[in-house]
Formats: sequence, C-alpha cells, structure tokens
Amino acid sequence: MAGGMDLLGLMKDYIVSPDRIVSIKGLDQTIAGADSGIRIGAATKIADLADNVLVRKMYPALATAAESVGTPQIRNMGTVGGNIMQRPRCWYFRNEEFNCLKKGGSRCFAVEGENQFHAIFGDGPCHIVHPSSLAVPVIAYGGKFRVAGPNGSRDIDAGEFFQMPNTNLYGESVLQPNEIVTHVILPAPGQRSAGYEVRFKQSHDWPLAAASVNLVMSGQTVKSARLVMGAVAPVPWRSQAAERVLAGKTITEAIAVEAANAALASAKPMSGNAYKIRVAKTAVKRAVLRAAGVAWS
Amino acid sequence: MDSQAPAPAQHPKYAWPEKPRLIGTRVSRIDGPLKVTGRAKYSYDILRPGMLYGRIVRSPHAHARLKSIDATAAEKAPGVKALLITIKPGDKVLYPGQEIGALAAATEQQAADALRLIKVEWDVLPALATVEQSMRPEAPQVFTPANTRRGTAQEDGNLDTGFAAAAHTVEGTYSTQVQTHTSLETHGCICEWNGENLTAWVSTQAVHGTREGFAAGLKIPQANVRVITEFMGGGFGSKFGPDIQGLLCARVAKAAGAPVKMMLDRKEEHLTTGNRPSAFARVRAGVAADGKLTAFDAQTWGTGGAGAGSDYPLPYIYTFPNRRRTHTDVYINSGQQRAMRAPGHPQGCFVTEVLMDELADRVRMDPMEFRLKNLPPLAPNAMWAKYFPMGAERINWKSRHVTGDPTPGPIKRGLGCSANRWGGAGQGARAHCEIGSDGSVVMRCGTQDIGTGNRTIMAMVVAETLGLEVNQVTIELGDSNQPFAPGSGGSTTAAAVMPAMRVTAGKARDALFERIAPQLGVPVDQISMGVGTVLVSLSTRDPLSDAQSAARSGQAPSSRSISWRDACRLLGTIPVSVDGQWERGLSAGGTSGVQFADVEVDIETGITKVRKIVCVQDCGLIVDAKTAETQCYGGIISGLNYAVFEERILDRNTANMVNPNMEWYHMAGQSDIPEIDVVLVDQPERGVIGIGEPPAVATAAAVANAIRNATGVTLRSIPITPDRLLTELERAGGTN
Amino acid sequence: MDIPKPASPLVNEHHCSNLRHKGMYVMSVPDPDEFKFYDRYDATHYWCTCTQKALGPDGLSVHPTTCQHGGERGCCE
Repeated sequence: MAGGMDLLGLMKDYIVSPDRIVSIKGLDQTIAGADSGIRIGAATKIADLADNVLVRKMYPALATAAESVGTPQIRNMGTVGGNIMQRPRCWYFRNEEFNCLKKGGSRCFAVEGENQFHAIFGDGPCHIVHPSSLAVPVIAYGGKFRVAGPNGSRDIDAGEFFQMPNTNLYGESVLQPNEIVTHVILPAPGQRSAGYEVRFKQSHDWPLAAASVNLVMSGQTVKSARLVMGAVAPVPWRSQAAERVLAGKTITEAIAVEAANAALASAKPMSGNAYKIRVAKTAVKRAVLRAAGVAWS
Repeated sequence: MDSQAPAPAQHPKYAWPEKPRLIGTRVSRIDGPLKVTGRAKYSYDILRPGMLYGRIVRSPHAHARLKSIDATAAEKAPGVKALLITIKPGDKVLYPGQEIGALAAATEQQAADALRLIKVEWDVLPALATVEQSMRPEAPQVFTPANTRRGTAQEDGNLDTGFAAAAHTVEGTYSTQVQTHTSLETHGCICEWNGENLTAWVSTQAVHGTREGFAAGLKIPQANVRVITEFMGGGFGSKFGPDIQGLLCARVAKAAGAPVKMMLDRKEEHLTTGNRPSAFARVRAGVAADGKLTAFDAQTWGTGGAGAGSDYPLPYIYTFPNRRRTHTDVYINSGQQRAMRAPGHPQGCFVTEVLMDELADRVRMDPMEFRLKNLPPLAPNAMWAKYFPMGAERINWKSRHVTGDPTPGPIKRGLGCSANRWGGAGQGARAHCEIGSDGSVVMRCGTQDIGTGNRTIMAMVVAETLGLEVNQVTIELGDSNQPFAPGSGGSTTAAAVMPAMRVTAGKARDALFERIAPQLGVPVDQISMGVGTVLVSLSTRDPLSDAQSAARSGQAPSSRSISWRDACRLLGTIPVSVDGQWERGLSAGGTSGVQFADVEVDIETGITKVRKIVCVQDCGLIVDAKTAETQCYGGIISGLNYAVFEERILDRNTANMVNPNMEWYHMAGQSDIPEIDVVLVDQPERGVIGIGEPPAVATAAAVANAIRNATGVTLRSIPITPDRLLTELERAGGTN
Repeated sequence: MDIPKPASPLVNEHHCSNLRHKGMYVMSVPDPDEFKFYDRYDATHYWCTCTQKALGPDGLSVHPTTCQHGGERGCCE
C-alpha cells in the first residue's frame, strides 16, 4: 500500500480482505527527464504530478488528467501507480450485495440493470469502464509501464498493458500477482497534445468520458496522431479510426467532428448509456481542438 | 408592510424591542470556533469508559423470507460481547437493509467482521424496484392488503367549465426522484445504562421526543431515560426518535453490560433512514387567452418505499379555479420515507412551476407576468406578487430571452423562477433562567441546535433582553433533563424557542429588579435595563438619590446607572431563578418566497452549470441575519442537488440500491455551488417565524425552468442529468 | 395560560397508542390560510413506537387507517 486511496475503500466494502499488507511507500516518487521524455516514479503523488513544470509544459494531457483526479485530499495521498492500478468503480462490483462476474459470480448485473455510467465499447462479459484517468494520456503519449518482478524489470507498452474482460475477467491488466509497476515512462510528446474530460459534477467526480490526443505535426499539418478515450470501455480505448481521420489534415472544427464521429462509430451502447456517445464525441472534438489551439463553437 | 396585514398580536409585557440592539444584526455562530477546532463533541465523538461498538444485522435482500439464521460463529468471534437476533424463521423482510439483529464488539472492525460470520439462509422473493413494477396488473402482491393505496382525492369548481374556458391546454407527465436526507452526521447513538437508568447521546432533532421513544420502545419509565444532543450534524426531518438503531443499541448495551456506540454508516443511511418520496403527476391544465388559469386535472402517484405514503400538495400556490386531483401511494421494496425538508413541497412546486412555464409559452406571456396574473391575493403570508419583481431585478430578468437561447455555440444561458411557501409557526417551548450574583446568566431549554444556529439566536435574544453581549450569556440545550421544548421540525424551532427566551429572560430581569429594588432603595418601577448596566431613574419619591445627586451637581439628574456586575452583586448568595415559556404575541407563521435561477447548459455534454440563484424570502422578525441567510444557502444547495444531482438509484432487478454512497449519489461540491444572492425580507411586526424549510422548496423548479429557457426543451423529470438532457435534446432535433 | 398541544389527526379512543408521526413531537401552529394555496394533502410518515419503523410488530405497514382498535391487527394497544 502506498496512498491507500483504493485499497482502503476495497477493504471497507469487503471487496478484498488481504491477510497481509505490504508497504510500498518506498517506491520511487520522483519525476525526471529521461532521454527526450520523462520518467515518473510509481509512488509520485498525483498532486506532485499535476504541479510538475515539466509535465505541464510537455504533457498537457497528463497534467489535465492529474489535476482533475478526485479531490485535493485524494491527489495529496494517491499515487500515480495507484491510479493506474485501481480497481473499477462499477457500482455492482463495489457493492457487497451483488456477486458480479468480476467477483466470481455468474452475471454482469449492469447488462439488464443500471448501466448509465458503464461501457459503450467492448463485448463484455463485464461492462466496467476503466477507472484510471492517467492511463488515457499515458497511452496517447505512447508511454510504457516499467514493471518489477522476481526476474527483474521489464517495460510494457501502456497500450498493451490493459486487458479486456473477455481476456482477463478478474483483473484489468497483464500485471502478474508477483509484479509491481515501478515507473511510467513517456517518450517525447508530439508538438501538440491535449486532454478533455467531461464530468457530471465539477467537484469530485469521475469523468463521463475523457479524451487525450497527441499530435505529431509538420507545420500546420498533422503527421500522425494518437487518440485515446477514457471512461468509455473496460480499458482506455484507443481509436485508430479517429487517428486516421486526423493524419495529414489541418485541424478545423469539421475535422475534429469527423474524428469524433470516427472514434465513436463502433460504439455499442447498453440499454441506458447511449448518451455517452454524444458526451465522448464532445470530449474527442474538444481535445483535438484544444491540442490544435482552435477555439470551439 | 402591506396594508392588508392584520393588526399584529403584540405581547403585552415582553414585546420585541422597537429598536433592537442585537436582534436583526449579523452575529456569527457562538459555537463556530468549537466546531472548526473539533472541540464540539457530536454524538459521533462521544467516548465512554469501556465503550463497545455496535453494528446492525441487516437483510441483504429487498424481499425475502428467512429460512434459518445461525449466529453462533459471530457470537464467538473476537471481541464480540453481545448479540441479538430479532427475526425468526418464516419472517419476511420488505426492504434492503431491514434490521434483523445487532451485536456489540470491542472495536468497530471486530463488530463489522463478526456481522459477516452470521449464516443466514433466505428464500428470496420477487422484489418491486419501481412504481411501474408495483402498479402492473400482473405484479406480485408484496404488500398487504395491496401494493397501492388510494390517497386523497379532491375536486373543486367545475372541470368541464374550466377546460371549456381554456384557449390552450398542456398535457404531460411530470416526475421527481427519491432523494435521501444524507445528513453529514449519520444516525445513531451511544447508550449507557446505570442500573435501570439509561443515558443516551443521540443525533436527534428531538431530545424530549427521543426520551419518550426510548421509554415506549423499551417499556421503561420515562423518568429513567436521559437523552443528550449537545451538537448535531443535521437531520432534515429524519431524526425524531431513538429510531431502530436506538432501541437495538440500548438492548445490546444492556446485554453487554457496557456502553455501546452505534452510529450508522453512509450506506445504512441511504438504505434505511428515510427519504423524500418520488412523485409522479399526469396533468392536464388549461389557460384562457388572457393568461388566466382555468383548469387543472391530475392523477398523481409516488412511492415512499415499503408501506409508506407519498402525497404532496398540488397544484402549488397558483389559483386554478377548477381542479381535480387523485393520489395513489405506491409501495416498493425500499426503505421508507420520512419527513424531509418541507415534506411534499418541492415535489408540488416542481410539477406546478414547470407546468406554469409551459402554459406561459402557450399564451406567449413572460413567465413572471403570467405568475403575477395567477397568484393568490397579496397578504402577509402571501407576498409573492411583491417578491417576484424584487427577485427579477437582482437576476436581471429583463435580459431573459424567450424559450431557447438563440446564441450560436454549445453553451446556452437561461433564466427561470418559482415560488414557495411554508408555515414555520411553533409553540410550547419552556425554559429556565438563572442570574448569579457574579453576573453570570444561564439559560436552560430542552431544545436542540440541529446545525441551524439555534444556540446563537437564543443567546442573542437573552442578551438583548438583559442588556448584555452575546458572550455574557450561557445557553444550555440538548438535554432532556432541561425544561421541555418540542422537537425541531417544520421550521418551528425559532418560533417556539425565541418567545420562550424573551419571556423567560424578561421574567428573570423583572425578578432581578424586584430583588435589588429594596437594596437600591427605589420602587421597582424606577429600575430599567441599560446596556451592561441597570438604570435607576430618580424621582422625587427617591429622597436619598435626590439628595445625593443634588449634592454632587446642584442639579437633579434623571437617572444613574449601575454596572451589571454591581447590580447582580446585590443578589448575595441566592441567584435569580425563574421559569418561563413560549407565549402568544411574539411569533407567527406563514412565509413566502421566490427564487430565480441563472444557468448555463452545455448542450454537447448535457452538463448544467448553475451560475446564480436569487432568493427573496421572508421569515417574520429576523433574529440573526447571518444564520437566517445560511439557512437559505443550505436550502438552496439542497434544491440545486434535487434539480440536477441527487437520485437514489435502485437496481431494477433486485431493488438493491446501487449508489448508497456519496460517490454515485451525486451532491454538489464547492465547484458546483453557484453565487447565491439572498434577500431576506424583515417583517418585525409579525414576530419570529422559522426559515429552515422554505428556501429548499423552490430551487429545483427555478433551475428546471432556467434549463428549459436555455435549451428550449422541456424536462418534466428531475434530476436533469446529462443523460436525460441529451436524450431530450436528441429528441428535439439533435445538437449538431 | 396557553397549554399548547401538538397537532395530530390521531384520536386516543380509535388509534393504536403506539402509532407515531413527527407532528406529535413538533408543536407547529397551523396557518389557517394554508389551504388557500393548495388543497389538503397528507405527506405524513407514520411509525410504530414499538418497532421505531413504518412496519408494525406484525410486519405490516402502519397507518391511521389500519392501526385502529377493533381492527384486524392484533398488535394494537
């Protein structure tokens, strides 16, 4: 346990009852330039990440995500590694009365139940949205997670790190029980990048949808793009369709709308969350326009 | 004041001062420093020697029959000192969280862990999670004698005539959600037995009522029960007795032979400690071409949970001369409703006020003008016609566009308004006042300060009456050993307690004067109160004083003053000790108010940002302008939550609540709270009237109308979530 | 001297002595004009003082219409 922001909640709700808790407060909590990018220790407080000058200057999408996590108290205690590895906030998962699929039960209660905050992508069988706000820009920036285990350290592409429920129902990532995330490593960003999150409440809430976009530019033209959405799928959801729309274009509102439409074209809403398509389209559009420095109307 | 005001009843002896020194000023809470430094001890903070922690055994199911229960493992669990099971095989539970037993253990964690060792087998029965499920003809009959109960039915005038006179009609179904009280301090208590005597520290709105409840529920003499609530973190109508956990706590404390603390957690709060019932209204209403309302016809229903009612006033305030309404209570498998901040009013206000804006559009009238045309006549308890223009000025109503902001872009602005009323008249409080020879003043009254500032305004009235400063007065409240005062509900506390303060302090003053008059050598009617002083007027009948003063100045002064301390010193060893009570002529009831909302809606996200709320509200004689305003702030924030955020969400298949927390049960945080502009209208001639509830009534309707004005789409259902708003915008033709 | 009483529709001779509602603990003074502004309604939450909830000792909902002497419920006192 580092900040304990997620673990304590899981324990209080009797979702997990560990026999033993190991302190990981000793993990690296520094942020340092590395190669042309940056290396962030897993025990870095989210507040420190949000305030870091280098992060704010080079990785605005990450800064946006960091500064809107939880509350000041959560950001002061919560760590980068904890944010990446936190368990889903699905209200069926978190509620003791519902023995859902993810907890070893036989069904996902969201399918025929209350799913207004659930996934609009993925084939199930579990329909959580991934809770990490930081993972979204990390993938957009092409980052890696450095993982330590019994056989030493390895780097895993952040885009390959998270797993869909049909691959891994009881966890959300490739991380093994005997491994731990020690660092987040980001390469140099594109010339332009930004994030945008839509929250129901402006104080202490989870995003309804979020988007991070990282643009490698050639003058005013997008050479290549990385676009990732949050809170829409069981993993941070990269849209290569939207990236293709942006590549080779000069960003205008029309292009941003086209990218947003492409990003959500394959969405499959549940019975009660079709509205999230509109919300996610808006997040994509505004992230793209914000990255390009174009005001939206 | 309006000329129609009846001649106000004035107390013959202790009328409110015409030129008050403290009353009506802005006094900060006298217990504020204690609260912000953590020295104020709420029930939650009480620690007793050897105290155990209690937890309640609850049903995880909404509807089930008990097959078997085995608590032997829990009884033997580490730390467990007492365990009580109150259900037997064959018994049914009707809502999730229903209480089926309790236990006490040495630590909170041991108690929580032990709960999970109780082996319970249930026959899970079909649960009713929504009113629709309960009302279906094929619905299982869960409640006896039926899932629904016919409530009030009214008819007035002639509906046919009313609709014949209508140039336009509006038809629609309106609805409001279930809102839970979500008091910051949860329900609960600490129970400590001393032989057959019970002392209970309870988070309650009624210390005396809770004593009666403990005695009745435990079948013990009221004389054996003492209830203490020194500080209290909100109840909003949900805390009027020992409650289920109170009786369970007392019983396990007795069994364990130790004090037990049993405070509920947030989940238990949402599930079992009350809520505002949902409301549905299928309405047809008519308006004449000249903008006069003609007819109102409504079938209404709602749910107060498992076997509790859901009625509310409708139509609200505006005059529909011809009307008919029938109400049906619908029962579902959820925790029961309790009184919640102006029970019924926010529901009736929302339905009526949204309908009013729709009707105004049909006759192409400004919604405020339309309201002015259909209000009851102006009266001291019905001041809306005066307040609407006042509020309009402060919200810049003249900048309002017609329905649907024509400004391009995703951000739409809008304004809306609505009206509220409430009673707020109380009575029956008693008090005891002592003045010591050292000048100290103690006022004891078995009322309670549930977070409203009651303690502060009590001190203000006593200080005003005795010519002292607020900090020279000691207020003791929140103890059933103190003189009786009624429970704090219905916004009645200020109107019940302030007259008792005025009368009792006045009697204490009179008693002081009588005691010291002989020693001052003057008739008692020559003594009066100054500020921090006692004044003795000098007349020819007072030869001693005359002689003294003449000797001093050669000219007879009209009075001399003695410091409060010196005057009290004349009491010697025996204090002034008097009883007093609420008396007529110092308080009243019947408040009115209006609210206006200025909102901004992002039609591409469905997010509403409330920019500003204007509140024009009267509450008779304002005792403390500051605490009266904070009552408005609290009410408005609660109303804003009702409009946009709060909603108890039950899983439709199991009737279990999916958001029994403050994470998905959304409530405004600092960044969601708008500028709030409160205009308090002082009516000193009416005496004190309560203000706790009325400000909470109108906000949701004003916000909903502002959203309608901004977006051009009519939302007849709250909360107005991004989900509902975007769905309605799509239906209206999409956003881009 | 005023002897204020709480406003309650319950009648000793008819209703179970264990039936409770908030108005029995709060001594409000009704505004005689109130029903000029809307019709009569009943938003009252009733509870049984034995169970402290809206269900009586027999597990059934408590309400003035059912918690009456001589009714079918055996728990009335």
